[in-house]
Amino acid sequence: MTRAEAFSDREVAMCQVARLVENGRTYWAAGGGTPLYSVLLGKKLYAPDAQYITEDGVIAPEPMLPFEPMMTMVASRAVYRALAWGTMNSAGIHAQLGYMDYGVLNTLQVDQHGNINSTFLGEYGGSGRRFGGPGGADTIAACCWRTILITDQERRKFVREVDFISSPGFLDGTPGARERAGLPEGTGPWRVVTPWAMYDYAPRRLRLIARVPWVTVDEILAECEWKPLVADEVQVLEPPTEEELQLLRTELDVRGQTTDAAGSWITWDGEKYIRA
Amino acid sequence: MTLSPSSSRQIEILRQGSGAYHPVDPDGFRHYVREHKNRALQPRLMTAREAVDRFVADGDYLTYECNYLMRGPNAVFHELIRQEKKDLWIAGKFTYVDVALLVDAGCASKIDCGFFLSAPAVERALKEGRLQVYEYSNVIMTLRIQAGAMGLPFLPVRSFGGTTGFDHSGAKLISDPYTGDPITIVPALNPDVAIIHAHQADIYGNARIFGTGISDVEAALASRKVIVSAEEIVDTEEIRRNPGATSIPYYAVDAVVSSPFGSYPGTCPGYYGSDPEGVFEVFRAVMGNGVPAYLDKWVRPFETFEDMLEQQVGQAKLDAMRANEVLKEGYSA
Repeated sequence: MTRAEAFSDREVAMCQVARLVENGRTYWAAGGGTPLYSVLLGKKLYAPDAQYITEDGVIAPEPMLPFEPMMTMVASRAVYRALAWGTMNSAGIHAQLGYMDYGVLNTLQVDQHGNINSTFLGEYGGSGRRFGGPGGADTIAACCWRTILITDQERRKFVREVDFISSPGFLDGTPGARERAGLPEGTGPWRVVTPWAMYDYAPRRLRLIARVPWVTVDEILAECEWKPLVADEVQVLEPPTEEELQLLRTELDVRGQTTDAAGSWITWDGEKYIRA
Repeated sequence: MTLSPSSSRQIEILRQGSGAYHPVDPDGFRHYVREHKNRALQPRLMTAREAVDRFVADGDYLTYECNYLMRGPNAVFHELIRQEKKDLWIAGKFTYVDVALLVDAGCASKIDCGFFLSAPAVERALKEGRLQVYEYSNVIMTLRIQAGAMGLPFLPVRSFGGTTGFDHSGAKLISDPYTGDPITIVPALNPDVAIIHAHQADIYGNARIFGTGISDVEAALASRKVIVSAEEIVDTEEIRRNPGATSIPYYAVDAVVSSPFGSYPGTCPGYYGSDPEGVFEVFRAVMGNGVPAYLDKWVRPFETFEDMLEQQVGQAKLDAMRANEVLKEGYSA
């Protein structure tokens, strides 16, 4: 493992999620993009016996990489060498039955209780901005045992309360709120990963547990609209490795689709990492 | 463990959404089937033009399978735009660029949202009040269609509760009379019309779909009128040779449309890969303000989808798309 010397914000987040991937567990990766690339990165480098599904009901594929542009589901390369081919309902029902250990999602906006907004910024029905909706994320967030959320570390994305709950976190944060809303018992958000930081829930409320070496806790907190809990000891995350980046860039995100959209570059100046 | 029924438990409605939803009428559906669905083994092969003219009416609730880029029923989809269908209500599950195409073309006025590409054309229609969105999610939409395909009025589901979408939908949270726990129920969806692209079909509508999908079979069974387009029209003897491979039985199908390369510019897995150039072009058109120009180039000038393929795409590119699809395992019966 060689520490890399130049990488982008979003590559950092994907590498951190990849390291969370465990053997013998099932992952439901939302859509294309960062969730799917993170799970594949983890499976290829760290946990070959981690299995994943996507919304079209494919089970445990060994995709022929790279994907063609925008063809991360249904297309033959994406579902190659799977153990089973299904449908959206089979994916949803398998999650409903408890077969999905982890859901991996990305989003526009997250709040202190892990609720996710991918529908509307501003007052719903008012003058705000419409987005695409939850897609499969609502079922992933409701029915997988644990959910891992990938997002950017920006004040407008880390809000006290989301404008619209597209996919459920711990709702109002009170004990049993999910169960009272009819969601399966014992499920819920588990980690939030950003290019700068990692959070868990203590309990049902976001808590900062780790940071990358090139930002301080204060810098992270300045990019939250409210002050999350902070662990007594905030761990320092390892930067991406050359092996991770090579795989990401040459086999997964070969067109820079997830990495060129936002964020900055981090480089090693001989003594320390600096953000460009 | 007690064997006695929990007779004292009442069903209570704990919370309900305020969104309008397509009327739920399982008996009405059964009567429709009895009156209108042809159970005789009679040919129903026709052109996309005839199928859309006969089976899609203004104001219909429409579901189409997969999306414009992945095994989309694009030949029939283009025909909706060419025939200027109006006021369609779209099942927006796993949709993508296609919703913006329909909205900007003036074909759609309502969407049940699971997911669609939020494009300028869609935003503009929303702001101008030409488009109404009701909130669901992808799986909630396919489960609604599943309920419709089972002839039921509603289905209990384990997701969707607690969301803001719930409040803008037709869902209800009730106390389950069996466990006593809260459970979300969603209204069954029986679309007026489904359009589905299959790999193979015979002239009666027995259809085979290979690979993964969204809700092809459920949509075919749940919908009043069903148009199946197919890459290949095969003999019924071929269907009978391997009945286990039949995805959709003939009596659910009203029209069969022969439609080779019917998913262009998208992929029909196992048969041809996508045309990346064509994919980028529609994506750019939708994310910019290029839908009218896109439709004027790819849809409106042509009498048929085949004419478009011949004149605008060309055989060389189609051959390349076919050659590019090297993975064949699993895409035959």
